[in-house]
Amino acid sequence: MSAPAEEKTASGSRGSEPPVPDGAITVTVKIRRFNPEFDDEPRWDTFEVPALPSDRVLNLLHYLKWYVDGTLTFRRSCAHGICGSDAMRINGVNRLACKVLLKDLLAGGGKATTITIEPIKGLPVHKDLLVDMEPFFEAYRAVKPYLISYGNEPTRERIQSAADRERFDDTTKCILCAACTTSCPVYWTEGSYFGPAAIVNAHRFIFDSRDEAAEERLDILNDVDGVWRCRTTFNCTDACPRGIQVTKAIQEVKRALLFKRT
Amino acid sequence: MPELERHEFDVLVIGAGGAGLRAAIEAREHGVRTAVVCKSLFGKAHTVMAEGGIAAAMGNANASDDWRVHFRDTMRGGKFLNNWRMAELHAREAPDRVWELETYGALFDRTADGRISQRNFGGHEYPRLAHVGDRTGLELIRSLQQKVVSLQQEDFARTGDHESALRVFAECTVTDLLLDGDRIAGAFGYWRESGRFVLFTAPAVILATGGIGKSFKVTSNSWEYTGDGHALALRAGASLINMEFVQFHPTGMVWPPSVKGILVTESVRGDGGVLRNSEGSRFMFGYVPSVFKDKYADDEAEADRWYADPENNRRPPELLPRDEVARAINSEVKAGRGSEHGGVFLDVSTRLPAEEIERRLPSMHHQFKELADVDITAEPMEVGPTCHYVMGGVEVDPDTAASSVPGLFAAGEVSGGMHGSNRLGGNSLSDLLVFGRRAGAGAAEYVRTLTTRPVPPEQALAAAEHTALVPFSGASGENPYTLHVELQQAMNDLVGIIRTAGEMERALERLAELRRRAEAVTVEGHRQFNPGWHLALDLRNMLLVSECVARAALLRTESRGGHTRDDHPRMDPDWRRTLLVCRATADGVTVTEQPQVPIRDDLLALFEHTELQKYLTGDELTGRSGTGS
Repeated sequence: MSAPAEEKTASGSRGSEPPVPDGAITVTVKIRRFNPEFDDEPRWDTFEVPALPSDRVLNLLHYLKWYVDGTLTFRRSCAHGICGSDAMRINGVNRLACKVLLKDLLAGGGKATTITIEPIKGLPVHKDLLVDMEPFFEAYRAVKPYLISYGNEPTRERIQSAADRERFDDTTKCILCAACTTSCPVYWTEGSYFGPAAIVNAHRFIFDSRDEAAEERLDILNDVDGVWRCRTTFNCTDACPRGIQVTKAIQEVKRALLFKRT
Repeated sequence: MPELERHEFDVLVIGAGGAGLRAAIEAREHGVRTAVVCKSLFGKAHTVMAEGGIAAAMGNANASDDWRVHFRDTMRGGKFLNNWRMAELHAREAPDRVWELETYGALFDRTADGRISQRNFGGHEYPRLAHVGDRTGLELIRSLQQKVVSLQQEDFARTGDHESALRVFAECTVTDLLLDGDRIAGAFGYWRESGRFVLFTAPAVILATGGIGKSFKVTSNSWEYTGDGHALALRAGASLINMEFVQFHPTGMVWPPSVKGILVTESVRGDGGVLRNSEGSRFMFGYVPSVFKDKYADDEAEADRWYADPENNRRPPELLPRDEVARAINSEVKAGRGSEHGGVFLDVSTRLPAEEIERRLPSMHHQFKELADVDITAEPMEVGPTCHYVMGGVEVDPDTAASSVPGLFAAGEVSGGMHGSNRLGGNSLSDLLVFGRRAGAGAAEYVRTLTTRPVPPEQALAAAEHTALVPFSGASGENPYTLHVELQQAMNDLVGIIRTAGEMERALERLAELRRRAEAVTVEGHRQFNPGWHLALDLRNMLLVSECVARAALLRTESRGGHTRDDHPRMDPDWRRTLLVCRATADGVTVTEQPQVPIRDDLLALFEHTELQKYLTGDELTGRSGTGS
């Protein structure tokens, strides 16, 4: 199972000794991998990784990529939870790899720790942990995620009261990481469903006092693949790394449709 | 190359951060066919990490603010090395760009009467930063992304094709610019996913690739910041200026090791946070340089009064420009008054009520809670300098963002001059919008005036393909990550926050050795999404740009802004008149001196004579009249 590590080291291209920090413990990292050039089916690779409890899962993945297997593929960018590139399934739950600390995954009672890492579900896998995000962005674009107003543009700023601004603050925190949408059991089985993230981004404009196209977006979300598909399982709210009340936002859109008021 | 994917555009923008997207929107609005190519997914660019805000003299928080005050602050922050015309355009146009962003739908925190709220920041005389909590960069990127989506849907309604006027190529890396004679003819790159090569034929290219921070070990920068645009410009024959000036942000996280370098926003200090050493002393009072004595308080009582009464008190020294604060922290740690993990303490817990901290600084509150197990409403943070921004970049015409190579433009961090020797916080997001827009317009105008269209020569394509494939035939067996780690260590240790001639000479030797080894580096696997290969190609750019930094830093024998020489600690007015210009040759980098363009009289007149005496030479002052004497 740990063959990849040994083979790569022996091949010479990973010749330098990886650094092992003081106080490191060894954990087992099981990664679901897929290389479309060679694999018909995804496979599991298992690695032993020395790491500090204060390390994040992203550090473990970097260790593997830098010192053990230079072909291990995953997205990451800012590395502290604001760009939304590194959503993945960690121990069966959608998380950002840069925001999960190893110490929160350690098995208690001196038992050995195994961490499983898989790509997010419901989007086609390109390679290893990297999925095709296009269907996700397509749903995002379909809700008209931009300010629409029909009057003359102001010479300076539009006036917006603190209360009006607060009304949609929560849904503007979205980082489009897809953790919510790919945790949704409806989305897994019915890929045509807009999914929570698209609804969150529609919510942002539907409840923005400056916007005048709430009706257009509500019509879009009233569609057969719109908000009524939501079965209120709260997976999305649990998965959101930004703490957005996703299910609540979806409920507010449903209510706006029922009562036609924003 | 029959398998080569080919596209043709009028304007190609490289980079999809704030500058790149604003440039692309402007070019599209000018009616030229435009494409944006970026290394990350669309909407994930480094700009999302900006926290504090956008500096613009809108005067919403203090009606005394106007562009002249912003211009003065920017020139002071850059120690007068700034390209004055860029600083002028930036200060004049920033408010319009913020208001425009608001019409795109950007969310802002608001004043009691519903206008855009503005916050205090280092080096800015008045509260000037438009902001959304501490996620302003994310909102800026999202607003521009939304604008792009709306334009594409307009284009679809008109032409039936979303991408008929503006197309985004995400997760695609440009490795070389292509020239027809001395003119830009296009760019060569590869899809990160498939590894397949792609040719963009375009008479105008706008570089908007950001910075170079990934060449340093401790940095707040994201993986994209490998100096690609700087290196592409050099190899295409353009010149870089001010490369010796690298900003170390004073407050990065220092603990735990896995998060070292991650940014702690300056808003913490803007909103009342103070710096203390291990003895509990607010040490910044001992580090106010003479040029800033009349603007910054001498004692805690006056500094604390300033928050409520800025008219009658001087500012707290924690809000000095970043270069001053970073050096002060460095000195405290070296003197043995640092924190356990080699930083100092940044405390907001004793300054604001807990709920106020959570409201104003939610991202910081989460970041420390989640990553360091520190509750910033109850205890201080440990912070230290982190490589944050490069002031140097492509030498451009201030009004059009054109470089010296016909058809090549640059905007944002990859361009040089605007910030002089040190950038003020908040001036980056405004820079992106002001000069992104100007680059888009400049490139569109350039394309319109062309009588013949440049064509990329086939042999240049073959050469670009060959260069890109070299890492697969490397013979040394060395891993590109090993070289990257060694480069980061060398730049951090030898060309870091405090510099000496001997160390930089050693750095140049190290860089030459790394360059030799990089030519023979080996990558495993195939071209399909191969991170090792991608790094091997990025490494070429990082090494070239690092050499610029080291060579220019060695030549500048003074200390100014983001360039501190232990062996030349004084600021020298003669050096203010001199720019160091980097160009690429077959064997590396040459640096030449070039006189700085004198500041226009009416702009000089915005300063008091006594202040100008601190920066300008006697010659420059003769016959010029500042206000007062």
